[in-house]
Amino acid sequence: MDLIKPGTHIDFVGKMGKAVLLSIVLILISIGSLIYHKGPNWGVEFTGGSEIQIKLAKDVGTEQIKSTLDKAGYPPQEVQRIGLQGDNEYLIRFSADLVKFDQIQSFQKKLEGIMSGNDDFKGGSILRVDYIGPKVGAELIEKAIISILLGCVGILIYVMLRFEFAFALGAVIALVHDTVITLGAISVTDKEFTLTIIAALLTIIGYSVNDTIIIFDRIRENMKKGGRATFDEIVNDSVNQTLSRTILTSSTVFIVLLALFFLGGSVIHDFAFALIVGVLVGTFSSVFVASAIVIFWRKKKGMTV
Amino acid sequence: MRASRGWIITILVFALLSALLLIPTVAGDALPGWWGKVFPDRGIRLGLDLRGGIFLLIGVDTEKAVDHELNGIDDFMTQELKSEKILIKGSEIKGDNLTLQFFTKEDLDKGLKVAEENFSDRADINESDLSLSFALKGSYLDDIQVRAIDQVKQVIENRVQELGLVEPSIQKAGADRILIQVPGASEKDRQRIIDIIKRSAVLEFKIVRDTGADQDVLMAKYGVKSPDELKSQGLMLVPGDTGTENEKFFIATSDSPVTGESLSDARLIFDEYGRPAVGFSFKGEGASKFGALTEKNIGQRLAIVLDGTIKSAPTIQERITSQGRITGTFTTEEAKDLALVLRSGALPVPVTVEQERTVGPSLGKDSIESGMLSMAVGGVLVIIFMIFFYRLQGVVADLALALNMLFILGFLSAFGITLTLPGIAGLVLTMGMAVDGNIIILERIKEELRLGKSPVAAIDAGYARSLWTVLDANITTLITALILFWFGTGPIKGFAATVSIGIISTVFSNVIVARVITNLIYQDRKVPVLSI
Repeated sequence: MDLIKPGTHIDFVGKMGKAVLLSIVLILISIGSLIYHKGPNWGVEFTGGSEIQIKLAKDVGTEQIKSTLDKAGYPPQEVQRIGLQGDNEYLIRFSADLVKFDQIQSFQKKLEGIMSGNDDFKGGSILRVDYIGPKVGAELIEKAIISILLGCVGILIYVMLRFEFAFALGAVIALVHDTVITLGAISVTDKEFTLTIIAALLTIIGYSVNDTIIIFDRIRENMKKGGRATFDEIVNDSVNQTLSRTILTSSTVFIVLLALFFLGGSVIHDFAFALIVGVLVGTFSSVFVASAIVIFWRKKKGMTV
Repeated sequence: MRASRGWIITILVFALLSALLLIPTVAGDALPGWWGKVFPDRGIRLGLDLRGGIFLLIGVDTEKAVDHELNGIDDFMTQELKSEKILIKGSEIKGDNLTLQFFTKEDLDKGLKVAEENFSDRADINESDLSLSFALKGSYLDDIQVRAIDQVKQVIENRVQELGLVEPSIQKAGADRILIQVPGASEKDRQRIIDIIKRSAVLEFKIVRDTGADQDVLMAKYGVKSPDELKSQGLMLVPGDTGTENEKFFIATSDSPVTGESLSDARLIFDEYGRPAVGFSFKGEGASKFGALTEKNIGQRLAIVLDGTIKSAPTIQERITSQGRITGTFTTEEAKDLALVLRSGALPVPVTVEQERTVGPSLGKDSIESGMLSMAVGGVLVIIFMIFFYRLQGVVADLALALNMLFILGFLSAFGITLTLPGIAGLVLTMGMAVDGNIIILERIKEELRLGKSPVAAIDAGYARSLWTVLDANITTLITALILFWFGTGPIKGFAATVSIGIISTVFSNVIVARVITNLIYQDRKVPVLSI
């Protein structure tokens, strides 16, 4: 069965101008949102602090949990419902300057007391307790940034060795593009920036390059064939020839990500969200952004084919 | 072209090995006893987030180890010069430096001689005005820190092991941290584990000179205003926790000739009133030192100092050599744990809890279930999708995918890589991307067919031309996964490991397994049309 009819010829290169404009708008929105929210909404892993995940028997609501804890002398920074409505799972968060390790220990005892003594909270249980000292957090941010940068450098070098510089530049700009827009989506939806999100970003980088390379590979092959086609035409042919693969693979990845998003449980939810955005943006950038950069760079250097 | 027999055998061996490695994961305790003797009996290790348990990152204060070292030099110099009737005016420790001040130039010269004789190997010694400074050498500094963290790890290992928990893991994490993981630990264990780990357990024995309810009044008796000034009299102020109002503070000798290091054993005992207490005994040299100390001070009170606080101060009735006890207001459990930490030795430097994660067993169970469910649903959808688009070749790709999953899980089990929740997510994602290689190859074969090639020639060309595309695409992904593995900690590392193994196994499945199956189907047959 053919998804794309053989001989289909869509003028991708001709649409690159508009596509790049769309990319620029998305990037500006992303950066704007990050500035408006004063940077990413760092999770406790980075800022230090504590997180306690509880499961209650009744649907108590975040406000009541918050006021009960206020009264108990442990005002939380945030109480958030996680998972699906019927799960009655909540995340209680304390910021680093509020909580020392010993405090979280005594808080936990207090919480256990509340959950056995108060009618509304009866039958609740503590699912998870996370405490992260501020020192570890600062180191994690550093490590996260280094690993993303190193990832880019590694890819740049590999693509440069296997292709030529223009392609490496296109691949890296495309992946920076995908990372920034995914970050923007996380920021716009006000999701927390956690360690799992870092893992998701690196996976997106990997996916984005993977997708880009397959088109590049075809461009290189078509360049070797010679003939009288211009570079723009070669790019257009290559994108068209790999189009079914691009759509089919993105679809399979998208299918499993949807499964993860809806069925993977509360912890995986945001991870799946980031990946879904990343795959969509990554597919778009492989087709439009990466090749546009290669075309632009080669024209600038006066290269024809 | 024929399906190479060598590859068929290789694939079958891999599949069999993977299956064997996975049987313990599925069967659990139902395995017969002889299994472990013939085959590996440990399956996939589940992370703390999946099975529940405690994860603790302990920061080791290695700076304190440097302080101890400099204090040691200070003490040695003071003692050594005292025997030559030279008094040191003052001393100061700042970072990696110790400075000693002298009264006269003559004293300084003698001090320099003693210093050079004893410490020139580990410190740079400089004189200026009337002071002598010791700056620890870089390599020696590293040594001190490495030794400190090794000792802390050893002590914590002893302590955690004695608690009798299942499979605790204690590892060094970086230059100044220790990672402790106790899977399956209950909420009740948690508090106890943390208390036992944090306990310094420095045990010292001193002789009591005086006691009082107020530290200022007590110090005034000795004509000093601050605890530091007591030092020149060979005394120090120690807080007391003996339960008596007028014994809140003690003045005691500052040196402790016997310490917890000389203990041979410590255990829970009950005193004459049936209250829990800790009994201890000394080994060889410790026993004779303790004998000498008690003999010299009969009629005086012996201060038993634990972590800087006097726990009890019995009057010495007679020379004691081997046995002693610490009484106090303990519960049985507390006395038992105190005995445990004394037995396992003192922490050479203080530690702090830098990160803690406790996952209840129910969350772990939920996570596994939702992880498995999403994997099953995702997998089935991908399988249907592939058959819908590629018919028989889709079935081949699905077979390769199933074998791929088997290989990956077998790998995880073989290398003892811990499967975490992000790891499961990584597996689900791998499933989505695993068919990519096959899609590239199958699309290529279709193109070749359109060019008018025969089915077998199209298959050959499709595989040959796609090889580097598949490799290039996957190597770049592998680069990011490996970097993530290098830099990641805890659950992220597990995720990166799973993805890395996934990529390698996927390339193998795409390029070799699918090819071999395809060849088996079309081998020696004149196929007019490919089912693709």
